[in-house]
Amino acid sequence: MIWDYFLFIAIIAIVLWIAGAVAAWKDKALVAYTTTIAGIAIFLAYIIVMWASLQRPPLRTMGETRLWYSLFLAVAGIIVYGRWHYRWILSLSTIMAVVFITINLLKPEIHSTTLMPALQSPWFAPHVISYMIAYALMGAATLIAIYQLFFAKKATAASIATAEQSQVNLVCAGYTFLTLGILMGALWAKEAWGHYWSWDPKETWAAVTWLAYLVYIHLARYDTRHPKLACWLLIVCFVLLQMCWWGINYLPSAQATSVHTYSMQ
Amino acid sequence: MWKKPWSIKEGITIGGGLVLVGVLLQFSVGAINWNVFAWPANVFVLIIYVLLLGLCYALSDRVYAIRFLTTWQAAVPALAIAVVLTVVMGCTQQVAAESAPADPLGLSKMLSFWPFVLIYLLLTAIVGLVAIKQVAHFKWRRLPSLASHVGIFMVLVCGTLGSADMQRLKMFCEYGRPEWRGLDSYDQVHNLDVAIQLDKFIMEQYKEDKMPKRFASEVEIMTQDGKHIETTIEVNKPYTVNGWKIYQYGYDQAMGPMSQYSVFELVSDPWLPAVYVGIGFLFIGAVGMFVAPGSRRKEDAA
Repeated sequence: MIWDYFLFIAIIAIVLWIAGAVAAWKDKALVAYTTTIAGIAIFLAYIIVMWASLQRPPLRTMGETRLWYSLFLAVAGIIVYGRWHYRWILSLSTIMAVVFITINLLKPEIHSTTLMPALQSPWFAPHVISYMIAYALMGAATLIAIYQLFFAKKATAASIATAEQSQVNLVCAGYTFLTLGILMGALWAKEAWGHYWSWDPKETWAAVTWLAYLVYIHLARYDTRHPKLACWLLIVCFVLLQMCWWGINYLPSAQATSVHTYSMQ
Repeated sequence: MWKKPWSIKEGITIGGGLVLVGVLLQFSVGAINWNVFAWPANVFVLIIYVLLLGLCYALSDRVYAIRFLTTWQAAVPALAIAVVLTVVMGCTQQVAAESAPADPLGLSKMLSFWPFVLIYLLLTAIVGLVAIKQVAHFKWRRLPSLASHVGIFMVLVCGTLGSADMQRLKMFCEYGRPEWRGLDSYDQVHNLDVAIQLDKFIMEQYKEDKMPKRFASEVEIMTQDGKHIETTIEVNKPYTVNGWKIYQYGYDQAMGPMSQYSVFELVSDPWLPAVYVGIGFLFIGAVGMFVAPGSRRKEDAA
């Protein structure tokens, strides 16, 4: 079984990614790129071999999507690093990737579990992965906002400007994936449920999240006089995002009607 | 207030005023009936709306209020109020399109709630005006922003106006009997130019836990213009013929794999191509935003 080799591949990839994260902290960009990309290549190769051996795309189970998620976290990390050279981004992406690889190592039985027919779609993985990348980037942006509000007491004007700009950059990158996720969800919904947008509770909260980050994007880009307001707004946006992700499971209005509970009519 | 240049306060007042007008309308004329926008009314409304926005833009040099609508000070409050109303929608159980609201204010039918619709109308007006402005003063740097504005305008306006033309019908097909009648959500029977004959209903289950693995129907589809198609329709794989998308919708749950009938949903949405073009623009805008996220800068409206 191809799955038996996962532990070795995972260890090699994790070691390479950690090396990349450390190199990024020490401003050794070339080492960071080389090791991180090598880790990505090995991980991707494993997924491709798995794809071939399963004779179907490895997108079906939660465990398989987590594989893609781990891969894409590393990819997102290196892209953001290449784009803006944040020293900490590779550490963040590596930690998150390790968490999801560990879950896969500890719960291998999920690889045989079933999947509802409604979820059996080529849109499933890109839709979910896109959202997961968006959530990761928005989380990073929110961390910067919290740091700015509560911990950056001795900040200089230059460091504040840098932090604000990285916030905007991260939110814009996250918003790209948020938008791609919502659009792919719409195209998938048309194929699965007959309409691209049905105001299902999950969709309603996805719209809330999408609009709330638009408020931030328009405010942060043009209103330079209220940096604290922008930070608070980012925290509110992240709370709304949590509502969309898992909070609605506890909303009576959503429990009764959401098709995102994946029950077949 | 109202001393030029207007600030975010004026923006909040405009949005808040619109909500107030909406509440008054809700109590005087009641919830919005979207069915009045059925073809061809929606085409005329669309043309008039776009022409009106173009006219407004032409007058923007002379009318400050129109110029203000293209600034972030107008956009941010409108978006924020839309967020609040959509949160209310997300917390309130919504009734079906064919039912009356379940609460006196009309919050349980948010899509027909005047303040909600007026705020989204304001949003589309802002987005439309900004899009025209960005075309008139085209800059490559702003292409992602332009694509996003055009895209969301098309999706919101065409999706909303087109909803009245959308048909969703259920068709109950028994083994071996061609069926051409569809039932709408008001239980009205429609005779269609497409007939479906169920040859075989397939329900596969996972061995381990008997969870459903696959729902599918082998069917023959016959159309009035002489097509005769043999195909399989299953969940996530609808079949498209003569403007209809045909979906696997249900089966006899008591019988499971032995079900003697299959239920299909037939969906026709003539405005779908316009919405998909809008979605395409949003894709371009989203990718462009990643490539060139833009920096914080002062007073560079849109």
